[in-house]
This record gives sequence, C-alpha cells and structure tokens, in this order.
Amino acid sequence: MSPNGLALPVVLPMLTGIALILLPRRAEWQRRISAVSTAVGFLIAVALIRQVRAEGIQVLYVGDFPAPFGIVFVGDLLSTLLVALNMLVAAAVLWYAFLTMDPERERFFFYPLFQFLLMGINGAFLTGDIFNLFVWFEVLLIASYILLTLGGEPYQLQEGFKYVMINMLASTLFLVSVSVLYGTLGTLNMADMAVKIAEVKDSPVVAIASVLLLIVFGIKAAIFPLYFWLPRSYVAPPGAVTAFFGGVMTKVGVYAMVRVYTLLFGVDDGFTYTLLVWIAGLSMVVGILGTLAQMDFKRILTWHIISQIGYMVMGLAIFTPLALAGAIYYVAHIMVVKTALFLASGVTEKLTGTTNLKKMSGLLTTHPALGALFFVGGLSLAGVPPLSGFFGKFTLIQAGLAEGRYGIVATAVGVSLFTLFSMIKIFRTSFWGEVRHKAAADRAVDLRTYGALLGPLALLVAVSVGMGLGAQFTVGYVLESAHQLLQPSLYIQAVLGSGLGS
Amino acid sequence: MSSLFASVMLPFILAPWVPALYRKAGRRVGFLVAVVPVSLFVYYLGFLGELGSEPVGFRLPWIPLLGVDLSFALDGFGLLFALLITGIGSLVVIYSTYYLGPREDLGKFYLYILIFMGAMLGVVTADNIVLLYIFWEITSVASFLLIGFWHTREESRWGALKAMMITVLGGFGILTAAVLLYVVGGSFELSALMENREAVLASPLYVPIVLLLLLGAFTKSAQAPFHIWLPGAMAAPTPVSAYLHSATMVKAGIFLVGRMAPLLGGTPLWYYTVSAVGAVTVFLGAFLAIRQTDLKALLAYSTVSQLGLIMPMFAAGTEVAALAGAAHILNHATFKGALFMLVGIIDHETHTRDLRRLGGLYKAMPVTAVLTGIAALSMAGVWPLNGFVSKELIFEAMLHPPFGPDVWTQAFAVLAVLGSAMTTIYCLILAHRINFGKPRYGDAEHPHDPPAGMLLGPVLLVGLVVLLGVYPYIAEGPIFNAAASGHMREEVHGHVHNVPVPGMPLAMSLIALGLGLWGYRHLESVRRAFDQVRPRVHANAVYDGILAGLDRLSRWMVRVHMTGLLRDYIAYILLVVFLGIGLAAAASGAAFDLRLDLAPMTFVEAVVIALIIAGAIAVAAFRHRLAAIVALSIVGLMVSFLYVQLRAPDLALTQLMVESISTVLILLAVRYLPPLPKEQDTARRKAADIALAAGAGALVAFLALMTNANRLFPSISQYFVENSKPLGGGSNIVNVILVDFRGVDTMGEITVLGIAALSVYALVTLRQRTRGRAERPVDDPPVAFDDPRSAARDAREGEMP
Repeated sequence: MSPNGLALPVVLPMLTGIALILLPRRAEWQRRISAVSTAVGFLIAVALIRQVRAEGIQVLYVGDFPAPFGIVFVGDLLSTLLVALNMLVAAAVLWYAFLTMDPERERFFFYPLFQFLLMGINGAFLTGDIFNLFVWFEVLLIASYILLTLGGEPYQLQEGFKYVMINMLASTLFLVSVSVLYGTLGTLNMADMAVKIAEVKDSPVVAIASVLLLIVFGIKAAIFPLYFWLPRSYVAPPGAVTAFFGGVMTKVGVYAMVRVYTLLFGVDDGFTYTLLVWIAGLSMVVGILGTLAQMDFKRILTWHIISQIGYMVMGLAIFTPLALAGAIYYVAHIMVVKTALFLASGVTEKLTGTTNLKKMSGLLTTHPALGALFFVGGLSLAGVPPLSGFFGKFTLIQAGLAEGRYGIVATAVGVSLFTLFSMIKIFRTSFWGEVRHKAAADRAVDLRTYGALLGPLALLVAVSVGMGLGAQFTVGYVLESAHQLLQPSLYIQAVLGSGLGS
Repeated sequence: MSSLFASVMLPFILAPWVPALYRKAGRRVGFLVAVVPVSLFVYYLGFLGELGSEPVGFRLPWIPLLGVDLSFALDGFGLLFALLITGIGSLVVIYSTYYLGPREDLGKFYLYILIFMGAMLGVVTADNIVLLYIFWEITSVASFLLIGFWHTREESRWGALKAMMITVLGGFGILTAAVLLYVVGGSFELSALMENREAVLASPLYVPIVLLLLLGAFTKSAQAPFHIWLPGAMAAPTPVSAYLHSATMVKAGIFLVGRMAPLLGGTPLWYYTVSAVGAVTVFLGAFLAIRQTDLKALLAYSTVSQLGLIMPMFAAGTEVAALAGAAHILNHATFKGALFMLVGIIDHETHTRDLRRLGGLYKAMPVTAVLTGIAALSMAGVWPLNGFVSKELIFEAMLHPPFGPDVWTQAFAVLAVLGSAMTTIYCLILAHRINFGKPRYGDAEHPHDPPAGMLLGPVLLVGLVVLLGVYPYIAEGPIFNAAASGHMREEVHGHVHNVPVPGMPLAMSLIALGLGLWGYRHLESVRRAFDQVRPRVHANAVYDGILAGLDRLSRWMVRVHMTGLLRDYIAYILLVVFLGIGLAAAASGAAFDLRLDLAPMTFVEAVVIALIIAGAIAVAAFRHRLAAIVALSIVGLMVSFLYVQLRAPDLALTQLMVESISTVLILLAVRYLPPLPKEQDTARRKAADIALAAGAGALVAFLALMTNANRLFPSISQYFVENSKPLGGGSNIVNVILVDFRGVDTMGEITVLGIAALSVYALVTLRQRTRGRAERPVDDPPVAFDDPRSAARDAREGEMP
C-alpha cells in the first residue's frame, strides 16, 4: 500500500469545507455531507492505523521532494491513533450539533469551519516538519477562534479576543523557536533535526529552543502556568463547540510536546524531568483547585481539563515505555470522556436552560438515562474501575512507582480523589434532589429530541467502557506506540532512510 | 471452577434488566430478584465442609500486559463472607419488598443492590489484588447510590458523599499498596506474592505498603478516625443499613486484613497498628453509641465498635484469634442484621426511631420486642447466646497476643472490657428500655407486629443467634475452622465452647456485664457524664474543615490570578518565558558562544533601525488611535526598507503590500471603534509593563544573536538553490519554495486567509442579525461562583484591556 493515504485526513476535510461553503442555504445538505465526510475520515484513519501496524511507520514525501528538503507527512502509531480519535469525537460532536445548532450559525458556516478545524488538527498530528506544524497550528487556531466567537454574543467576543491574542503570542514564540532551530540546525524536517540534535546534545541553544517549544505547546495544552485563557473562553460558545474543544483541542498541544520530547530532545533525569514533573503536579493541583468552588457544570469541566493535562505531562516526564503508554492512554481517554461529559452538560442545559448547578436538581428522577450516562462518564473521568479512566491512572501510577517517583504519584492519586468529588458534586446537586429545575414544559425538549441527544453521548460513554474492559487491547496498543516513540531511530529511519535515496 | 466466576458475574449480568423487570412486574420485583441471592446462597452452601485453607480457583486472562487477570480463589475464609453476602442478601431483598413504600423506585433499588452483591462477592473471591480493588471500588459506588437512594433528603446526599469520599480515599490506598507490592513482589496475584513473602517483608517499601493497605481496611470498616462516615450512611433505607453497613460491606476491611495477613502480617507493625486502632475504636464506638437517641445511629456506632473488636483478631496470627474473628463475623452479622431489620420494623410501625419516644413496645408488638431483646442480649455477650461464645474467644485471644503480653496488649484488653461494658449498657437500652415500661409509641396509636414476610429475616437470624449460642459446635468445623484456616492458609483445628469455663476470659465478660448493668441502672447520670466529654479534635470537624478550607483556597486562587485581564495574562506568559529560558540556560551549564562578529552597521541602517524603535515606542505612547496607526505603519515601512537594504526585494514587496493593506483596513475599522478608555494605571504597573516589553525585545534580540553565533550545521537551503530551476522550473527561489518545495505550507496559509475572510463576513452579518435579540437569558449570567464579588469581576471584564 502506498503512503498516499496520509494526505487524506487533511485533504478530505479541506475539500469538504470548501464544498460546504458553496451551500450556505442548504443546511440539510451541509449536515449530510459533513456526516459522510467525517465518517469516511474516521474509516480512513482506521485504515491508516492498520497500515501502520502492518507495515511500520508510513511516510509521504509531499511533491516527492526528498527529505529533509520537502515536507513530509508521517504516520506512526501515535499520530494515526490521534487522527482516528479526532474523527471519532468529531463525528459524535457533529451528531450532537445536527440536533442542537441554531439555524443562524448553521447558515454562517459552522460546518465548513468545523471541517477546516479538523483539517488543521489532522495536519498537526501527521506532519513531520516543524514549520508545517506551525502552519497547521495557524489553521486550527483561526478556525477555532471563529467557532468560539460565531454568534457574536458579547461574552463570546470578550473571551474569544483573549483566546486569540494569547494564541497569537504563542504563535509568535513558536516562530521564534523555529527560527532559532532552523538557524542552528539548518533544517526543518523533524527527523533530520533529531539526527543533528543528537550530535550537539549539550548545546545551550538546543536547551533554550526546547524550553521555548515547551512554552509554546504548553500554552496550547493549557499546562501550569499557561492556562489562563482556557477556563473562561471554553464556556462561551455553544455546547457542541465547547464539547469538541474541551475534548480535543488541548490534546494537540500535548501531542506536540510528546512528539518533540520523544523525537528531538528526550527527557533527561535532571533538568527536563524536574521541570516537567513540577508542571505536571502543579497542573493537576491547580486544575482541581479551580473546580472545587465552582457551581457551574461547564466551568467545573473546563477547569478539569488543566488538571488532566497534568496526568499526560506526568507520563511524559517519567519517560519509560509504561509511563508514556499511560500518557497516551490518558490522552485517548480524555478525548472521549471529556467530550462525553461536555455533551452531557449540553443536554442538561437544553433541558433546564441553565448550567448553574444551584438552579437544577432531580434530573435523575425525570431523565434517568442521562443521569446514568453522566454518572458512568463522571466515574470514568475520576478513574473509577473498570472504566477507561482507571487504566490510564493505573498505568501512570504503576510507571511512577516502578521508577520511585513517589511525590508525583501521591499528587496524582490525591487529585483523582477530588476529581471524583467534583463529579459527585455535579451528580448530587443536579441529578439528585427534588425536581426543581424549570419545568420541562416551557423548555419543551420533546421526548424524541431528548432521546436523540443521548445518542452521541451514549456512543462516547460506550467507547470509554469498551476502552476499560478491553484494556488488554487498548493498553497493548498504547504500549506498542510508546515503544515506537522511545525508539526515535525508527522514525528517523522511516523518514530519512529511504528518502535520501529517492 | 468456572462456576465460581459465573457466580460473581451473575448479579452484574442480571442487574441492568431489573428496571425493565420492575416496569413489568411492579412491586413483586423483589421476589423475582431474591431468586438471585437465594440460588447463589445454595450454590455456596455446596462448598460447606469442603473448603479450608486450600482454595478452589478460576483464572481467565484479562489484561496480562498489566498483570491484571480474572483470577478467583475461594477458600473457607472467602466462603464465610460469600455465605453472608448471599444469605443476608436474600433476607434483605425479601424484607425490603415490605419495607419500601409503593412509590419507591424499586427498579433502581434492586439494580444497585445486585451490583453491590456482585462486587462484594468479587472482593471476597478475587485472587488478584487489582481485581479485588476494582470490585472494592464498585462496592463504594453502589454504597454511594444506596445511601443516596432517598436523594431528595439533604442528609442522604451529604451522607452518601462522605461515605464515598472516605472509602474511596482508602481504596486509593489499596491501589497504591497493590502497585508497590507489584514493584516489590513482581505480581498482583496473591498466590504468587505469597511465594515472595520474604522479599516483601525485607523491602524498604514494606512499611508504606502496610500503612496504605490498612488505610483501605480502616476506612471501609469504619475504624477510628474514619468511622465518621458510617453514622452518616444511616440515611440509607434500613435494608441497606442492615445489608451493607452492618453485615457485609463494612466487613470488607476486616476481610482485607484477614486476606493479606499471611503475606504482610506476623510483624509487630502489623499487629500493633491494627490492634491499637481496633481497641480505640471499640471504646470510642461504644461510648458514642450511648450518647445517641436515634436507634439507627446507636446501631451504627455499635457496629463501629464491634468491627473494632473483630479487626485485630485477624492481625494476631494466632489460631484462637483467627477462630474468634471468624466466629464473631458470623455472630455479629446475625444479631446486628436482625437488629437493623427490627429497628426498621419499629420505625415502620411507630414512625420514629427516637428512643426517647419509645417504650413498652412489648405490649404492642411482642414478637418484634422479643426478637430485639434476644439479639441485643447476644450482642452484650449474654450466655447462652452466640455473642457470648465468640466474645469469650476474643478475650482469650487478647490475653495471648502473638508477641507476648506487654503493657500495650494489656491496655488493649482494658479498652475492650470497658467497651464491652458500654456495649452492655446500650444493649440493655435496646432489650429493656424500649420494650418495657410506660407505653410510648412515637407517632402511632396502635403499632403492631408486621406481616410474616417482614419478620422472616429477623426470625431466621435470631434463630441462628440462639442456635449458635446453644450449640455452636454445629458451625465449628465447616464454618469457623474453615474460615480460620482460609485466613491462616493452614489448617486450623480450634474449639469453641458454650459452657462458661472459669478463667480470665469469663472474668472479663462478667466484669463487662456487671459494669454495664450498673451503668444501665444509672443511665441518666452516665449519659450526663458522657455528654460532658467534648473532645477538642473531632474527626467530623476535620472532614468539614478540609472541605471548607479547600473551597476557600479555590476561591482565593481563582480570584488572585484569574483577573480576566488580557494584559495580566500576557505579562504572566512573558514572565514564564524569561524564567524558562533563564532556567534552561542555567541548567545546560555549557558556556554561550555569543561572538558578535557582525557586519558593521551602515549609516542608513542605523537611521532605519532608529526609526523602527521610535515608531514602536510611539505606537504604545500615543493616546490617539490615528496617530498610533501612523506610527505603526512607519515601523512596517522601515522594515520593508531594511529588506531592500539587505537585497531581498521579494520580501520587501510582500511586506509593503501587507503593510499598506492592513493599515487601510485598520483605518477603516477605527471608525467603528469606541474611543480609547482613560488610562488608570499606577506608575508602578506602567514601569513593570515597560520593563516587560523591553525585556521581550531584548530576549528576541538575544535569541537572534545566539542563533547567528551558533550555526552548527549547513542549511538545507543550498538544495533549493541548486534544484529550484531543474525541479521547480523557476529561477526565483522564494517563489519555487512557496509554491513547490513547500507548497503544503502555502496551501495551509491560504486556507487561513480564506477562513479569516469567511469569518469576518459571518461575524459581521450574524452579529447584525442577532443584535437586538435577547442575547443571553437574564438569569444565566456567566458567573463563576455564587457570590456577588465574582459577578462584579465578570462585569469588569467587559472593559477591553
């Protein structure tokens, strides 16, 4: 099989987006085309995973220019997995959006913008060129910015403005670090950079560039102390957008961090480990602290994102196959479960007209299925076995204790107790209690719509349960992926080995 | 033994169907559900007499990668628990069909009960510690749902949360201990770990392993100071209290200690920790029980106390202790299970559980009263009931501690006797005070004995209380010794006796009974005296204090740094950049190569650069938008000019175009912008901002110089120079790079521009359309917390920085 398939996750959403722009008044067609394209995209991603598993790392030399001169797309176990998850979550969110998006936003390019966002994200996962990564970051940034502000409600604009300004600053820093690296190493191809960095490992220039990139990706991933843009901006847009952003967007930053640290810089026992482990621990703690006093469904979930990024960074910091596997597992788990929980908050908002926990209660009595789905999702997020969250946490704990990293393990365990606390808080206040939220009568979500709204939520919760029960397979996959990442020579060989000859 | 696996999974498989069954079968659903525990009980009965220290096992690979497999092992110890879980479970399910009212959601109730049952069976049969932990957490979740079953009541919601938090905290202890055991012993399988016992005991991780594991056991079994969740759990319907919170789940901690003892026990750390906590708990639980006026709260504290009595029996490692523990587990389950159901009946009939409002029940409901009396006397250790039998054994075990008697074990014994004396007092309250004397029936006029179905459970259990008291030998071999053998992992052949034998244990029993009788006669003064005790540290206050403190910390943290002002956020980021680069440079240690062998600056360049700097400062300084825009365009023009100087006409042209277009656009937009807000900054803040800005500029300059001085490898650009014509067909390298070599980048950037154009159109048009409509429900402002300060803060965010 040729590696040309690697271009599809980028090209397909782009073409779909362009096609959708041409159909502004045909909402029905926009939905159909988006749905088909996203589903096909998911299948393509699955096919790519199978190809990578069968034939090893896939490399596409765009324009057939040899590496390191042209741009390459590289599909390994991690990047294809994330593309597949991205498409899966996107499909669920689109399903939800079909049912909830207001006609105005549908008219004004919600669906094409969503496709462009997918294009940017997939591009970021697949590219093997650091400047090209910058370009994909730009694509997803501009698309996400518009999705955040589409509708132009004052709160959206106010928070969206901060979002875009901070991200512009991050982009500038990204550009600066790329320039430093290019000036020093004379190349932009990441595999080539890896070869050259290995030769000048001790150069302070490399150290500085690595920290700059960490800051850039840290802003995208919302790690401590670079997360301020997140908690408020994610609350502003409509439910479907929040759900997708909450589930996927910050993970692109995490992916980039994992990629550059595994391929380019490595994590040594001294400075880098210390730096990363503190970032991980403080992200966990600050994120969870942020949730404790909140009484708003969405805000609790958004603060949680920061905390969960901490777990992923923890895996990266420890840097053993098991730890990295735990981090990847955690990324996958959060993409699915976080989106599910945001969708649950969206359904709740549809039913009660609010996300303020103090204004709703008794939903379990009136809407038991929603209650059950939220409960399972919430427990999964908190790492209750045997759901997906447990195995992520368990793998990280196992990796941490095997290496004697007691401090960060204790933090991770303690924080997950309070994750549970905050999930239970939501459940206790809004699902338990007397039926007190505004009568369903004037909110008029009829039974069929309600049932349909649960569809995407149920899909994602089922994936979480499946990831947990099928842990032998899922953990096996991420372990394999971690091994691949920890042998950068595989990546380098795949990109440069054959590329130099052609 | 795949049937063992099936027996654990059966409740899980059937549970999801219960709500649907409830819709079909209505209130009779309880009898249908009861088939599950009854048949499981019969199944486990089949093992009686066959199991001792040798387990029957079952193993199915699940996640071999992580060392977590579905491995189950049932021995005599687990069998005792399995019989309790299914036996009491059967009685409770039947009892609850009478207890719960017609409006209760029985579908959910039995769903939770079945999940609990399966999980609890999993706990007592798992051979893999992680598997055990998984089931353990599921019991916590089921317990949470059952405590909160009447979730419209605040105390149910609060009690459920507290129970969950404390037991899950302990669960995390077990998980961590399990992983540490894996690190030390190389497996999660108990049977495999047993073979590595020496390595575990010798490891420096032994102490944390023990303490973390015991944290799990103590929290689940409500040992001081974690006992505080159990009284709160009494908000659950009484069948749940009888089942989870007296007979089964709270004994999981004891089970864990008993299960792990052969691996981790046999050390002073293990024995003294468990014994000390147990002794304090016996005393404290009984003491607090007497202070209660709510019958269920009294029973809850009594359970706490009794669990404290049993727990150390499985830490001693002696035969008599193991036997005593096994016997008291069964005996406690019988009399306490019966008492809970009876209190439920009293509550049901009189609509109160306040013992100040109860009295003379014997006249109104004689059967209930007699059963209550027998069960309570058994708990007090009165001959010839089963409580007496096991209490004798416990005292005997306490007198023969594994490391010889010392001042500590004597203190434990004294605490146990004092605790038993207080136990006698509250048992007499249950047996005598509410049954005799002046009739007080709470809110009811004529309470009467309940229907036979509701009495079934108490009658059977009290029957066992009497049977095991009069003739304990029937259970000696197949249950007590079998359980003790399973726990010890070697055959135990101990003896129970129901004939009082003169000796120290009997003397302790008599002292306890005598003191208790004396105390009951002077109940009012005892109560008064007890009420005087006001401990300075209270576990409940600690729990509440932690939650309240974290809440305050959370508010404070968010308030302090989430100012909502973009300029603050940018300042934070820049500070992080300075700090990060500083740290990286310091850590790398290597010397910097900053040769400044730069070309000399021409006069023109100097002027241009000076203009750029002046323009940049002017942009920030001007108070008028138009002036600032002009200053900004000067910067852009000068940069283009610099490109010309550096002989890059393409770049200069591009820059010029971008500059002109954006200047025009900004000028057009200015018309629509409100005037700049008045400046309100303090001089200090201004100085800090200036320093930050200057620092950022200096940093970029430094990076550029550093890069220039460290060109470590030849650039790939040579390839473009050579191949631009042959491969790209163009002699302008920049063009060929843009459209050919790196065409994907350009495609991406074009997409960015396209999206931007699209969105300007969308934003402007959509904004105009929606303007004038209510934009957000008035009652749903974007408020973070429920306090007015944050509302004010959110309002302040409206000011654009």
